[in-house]
Amino acid sequence: MGTTLWQRTWRNVARNKAMYVMVIPGLLYLLVNNYLPMLGLVIAFKDVDFAKGIWHSDWIGFKNFEYLFKTSDAWLITRNTLGYNAVFIVVNFAFSIAIAIFLNEITSKFFSRFYQSVLLLPYLISMIIVSYLVFALLSQDTGMMNHTILPLFGIKEISWYNEPVYWPFILVIVNLWKNAGFLCVVFLAAIIGIDKEYYEAATLDGASKWKQIRLITIPLISPVIVMMLLLFIGRIFYADFGLFFQVPMESGPIMNATNVIDTYVYRGLMQIGDIGMSAAAGCYQSIVGFVLVLLSNYVVRKINKDQALF
Amino acid sequence: MTSQNRLIQWTAHAFLMLIALACILPFLLLFMSSIADEQAILRDGYSLFPAEFSDAAYRYLARESTQLIRAYGITVLITVVGTSVGLAITAMLAYPLSQKAFGPRKPLTFIVFFTILFNGGLVPTYLVYTQYFDMKNTIWALIVPNLLMSGFNILLMRTFFLTSVPDAVIESAGLDGAGQFRTFVSIVLPLSTPILATVGLFQGIGYWNDWFNGVIFITNPAYFSIQNILNRILMDIQFLSSSNMSSHVGDAMSSIPGTTVRMAIAVIGVVPILIAYPFFQKYFVKGIMIGAVKG
Amino acid sequence: MNKFKRHVSGLSLVLALLMVLTACGGGSKGGEEASGTQASGGESANSGDTPEIVMPFFVLNGIPEDMQAVNDEINKITKEKIGATVKLMPISYGTYGQQTNLMLTGNEQVDLMVVGTWFNYTTQVAKNQLLPLDDLLAQYGQDIVKTLGDNYISAGKVKGKTYGVATMRDLADMYGLVIPKDVLDKYQIKTEDIKTFDDVGNLLATIKKNEPDSTPLVPFGPGDSLLDNYMTYDNLGDKLGVLPGDATDLKVVDWFEQPEYADLLNKIRSWYEAGFIMKDAATNRDSGLELMKAGRGDVLLTRIKPGYAEQESRLIGKPVVTIPLTQPQARTSSVANMMWGIPRNAKYPDKAMQMLNLMFTDKDVANLLAWGIEGKHYVVKSDGVAGYPDGVDQNNSKYNLNQGWMFGNQFLTYVWEGDSPDLWKQLQAFNDSAVPSKALGFTFDQTPVKTEVAAVQNVLNQYKMALEWGTVDPAKVLPEFRKKLKDAGIDKIIAEKQKQLDEWAASK
Repeated sequence: MGTTLWQRTWRNVARNKAMYVMVIPGLLYLLVNNYLPMLGLVIAFKDVDFAKGIWHSDWIGFKNFEYLFKTSDAWLITRNTLGYNAVFIVVNFAFSIAIAIFLNEITSKFFSRFYQSVLLLPYLISMIIVSYLVFALLSQDTGMMNHTILPLFGIKEISWYNEPVYWPFILVIVNLWKNAGFLCVVFLAAIIGIDKEYYEAATLDGASKWKQIRLITIPLISPVIVMMLLLFIGRIFYADFGLFFQVPMESGPIMNATNVIDTYVYRGLMQIGDIGMSAAAGCYQSIVGFVLVLLSNYVVRKINKDQALF
Repeated sequence: MTSQNRLIQWTAHAFLMLIALACILPFLLLFMSSIADEQAILRDGYSLFPAEFSDAAYRYLARESTQLIRAYGITVLITVVGTSVGLAITAMLAYPLSQKAFGPRKPLTFIVFFTILFNGGLVPTYLVYTQYFDMKNTIWALIVPNLLMSGFNILLMRTFFLTSVPDAVIESAGLDGAGQFRTFVSIVLPLSTPILATVGLFQGIGYWNDWFNGVIFITNPAYFSIQNILNRILMDIQFLSSSNMSSHVGDAMSSIPGTTVRMAIAVIGVVPILIAYPFFQKYFVKGIMIGAVKG
Repeated sequence: MNKFKRHVSGLSLVLALLMVLTACGGGSKGGEEASGTQASGGESANSGDTPEIVMPFFVLNGIPEDMQAVNDEINKITKEKIGATVKLMPISYGTYGQQTNLMLTGNEQVDLMVVGTWFNYTTQVAKNQLLPLDDLLAQYGQDIVKTLGDNYISAGKVKGKTYGVATMRDLADMYGLVIPKDVLDKYQIKTEDIKTFDDVGNLLATIKKNEPDSTPLVPFGPGDSLLDNYMTYDNLGDKLGVLPGDATDLKVVDWFEQPEYADLLNKIRSWYEAGFIMKDAATNRDSGLELMKAGRGDVLLTRIKPGYAEQESRLIGKPVVTIPLTQPQARTSSVANMMWGIPRNAKYPDKAMQMLNLMFTDKDVANLLAWGIEGKHYVVKSDGVAGYPDGVDQNNSKYNLNQGWMFGNQFLTYVWEGDSPDLWKQLQAFNDSAVPSKALGFTFDQTPVKTEVAAVQNVLNQYKMALEWGTVDPAKVLPEFRKKLKDAGIDKIIAEKQKQLDEWAASK
């Protein structure tokens, strides 16, 4: 029945000409900017020799991937990467949704704008600078924690950069602090987009504010939440390099708590600078993310077909 | 105002004020460190109330003022052009993906989503833009790659069109005889200012803060953007701390600008966005008003 | 009309799409052909007349404003002497490695560039990105060979072929400590009394006793461990398998397993516990000189050379002295960390070598690169040293590159004001006095064991700084470190290194 499919497609094109034209620039761009370079993933399977050129270099199968698995740290970095990102998603989503909802409740225009601007501040500062700010707090010699805050409670000074137990918390907090503003803007836009009539009707029915939030706001922004969730799951095997590399200041004793796949790859390849091996890491990360997203999209589709991405 | 409403207001204020403080204080620390005396910081650490002040950091940066001004110009140019073009293309792609009438929307959504998961990596991207498009050392290299739009923004906008623009509105526009493009421009877009502002904000910040494209595509200082110049200093320190170069090139150590300069750099990079931000906020509010009017 | 327009725009977009697709196909083919023929040398020059040599190098202090003016002056000389012009391409060092690697990968014209172990030199060689220079050196680079001498030339060899040429600068490694003169005077310590690592400990103890609140020892720079600045052995490129300083044969040993290493760590740990070392040393991100200037400490260990004390005194603002703790030793790594190479992408390899030779022989070119244009950026004072012209200082100079050691023969340039006028003689003597390592000229190729190297690097990153600054207890952590190194495959790396070293020795 090939012809009917063609006919159907053609009819759809004829009826929605404008929409077909509209997507062209975007798709063209993705083709050039994203899909064309993807051909380069072959580098991950090659022993690149520039005398032969990239395309004609020898195939070496999965040899470039070996270093990711051969180390005794393979389990550790996998666990850290997935574990931290999972916690980040839960904590960041919970907080930024709460912030967005509260922001929406603020009636004073001045305060609403003030909070919004201020919340975005951390998102604007580069991770290297953030690492200095964290250092300002935690430095053993001169940090504020050890100098002013801990003595107030009569606690002895702590060697923050040498004690791995604190770092899961520090990293989660820094990540939240840095990214909550960004996520919150997304959710706020979704909340603002909700038709005010729903709330008016609910108020007339005597529904309390809490009830309105629970029964109107959350359900109506849930498509955005689910979509964002899927996007973040797709990147779950990519760690925020800046956060994990800069903020711990490369301190060795805490590395079991701060080493993730991206930092591992960076440190490992610093000297060798092998493009095949770094391409292999990217490839591995993408595939894990891809599998996880397919799974979660499948689950979402089972629950609510409309909210699935594809 | 009911007592319950008042309670909500107070809870909201308390919660947000706490978070606002958490955001402001570090930034204040950043600013104070940039105007503090270098030796004092090294000796006593960072402080919200530095013992000694100094404008040395800003004087250091002022030495490069001609270059900095030019770089600001470049940054503003790429931010404005990139954000507007990117926003247009993003919206045009996102809208059909949200419409049931558009046949291939599911496969195309997947094609967009796929770009978030997989990328060819630095080297292939570089080869595409330098060999096929010859963008090296041009302003285009700062505008076109990576940032023109990301799959993330497209999907975000698509979801917004899907949920916040009622189908009925679009259908009735169609019945009134408006073409799909006109419906999009004159009905859908005005209803979507919050998301346009959001994505525009992300793209704007993305362009403003982008230094990476400068690092890989630009060697001619005439095209350095502001973040490119500022980040160069941070990247140098980064490089020193992960190579064993410093003791071999003692000169490199003397060229590391001190902490105060690094902080001043961050301030200089952030302040213009803070000034421009209220402009975006206007559109957030506008969205509400139209949303309220439309029904 | 309206409809027509829409059709046209649709059509043009489709055309654009097709163009992109065909351009891609054509482009990749072109790229391959180019890579095949490029090595044979430039066929047609860019505009036909004078060939232009593209020459990237790294800069430490930003790109000087008058770079182009200096470049123009240099071109006047090169046009006449080698029939070519150069295009100087300064890149800040933090991004130099990445940018040049991309240029090499992207097959862009690069004729002469700074290469070295700081920037993945051995990988570039292994991946055939650099041209062997032996023939070119014989034909156009005689003066270079004469100036450097065979020993230092050999450091640029990999498997018998030369891929990099060092510059004439301080080519040997010597480690020592830097300390302000007034501190020495205050405690009446004589420089002659400090010779060993233990003497440093005594010195620190003396200072600590008199100033109990201070932590006298500070790190030299971000990422430097204390032992990075006290190397008594040939690190054979990467410290993964070293040749001890007193080695009589070519037996590669695991430095981290040596009793001497454990011994040093114990000493450092005791220093740390006694409060001799800045507590944040392992995570430091500041320059040690700045720390010293701010009074955070008085002593640091670093790589020293003649003239170093004067240089640092100017930076710190008070006189400091340097006290050597090791003998100067010439190792491949001290030479190969910064060299010049000619990439496979070079359009004019011949001219590039001639240019390199010119930097080794032409006083004017050397001075232009190091100090800028005479009369504008520097003037020659009566005693033959160079200094700023009237009204120009370090802050407003438009050419303050100050990297004479990077271009050819530094000894051709003027000595800067404040340094000893016979500085170059001292440096020459320093180079000559250096004991060459038994393995000078051997370069380790990591590629056969790169899987293991990646894993071992991670182990090093995790343990080295903390152990070598004393922040952790070696009694507990050193065994762990050693075990993880073994697990990561350091033995395999050492075996490979030994194999390559033996082959190298046999071929010599």
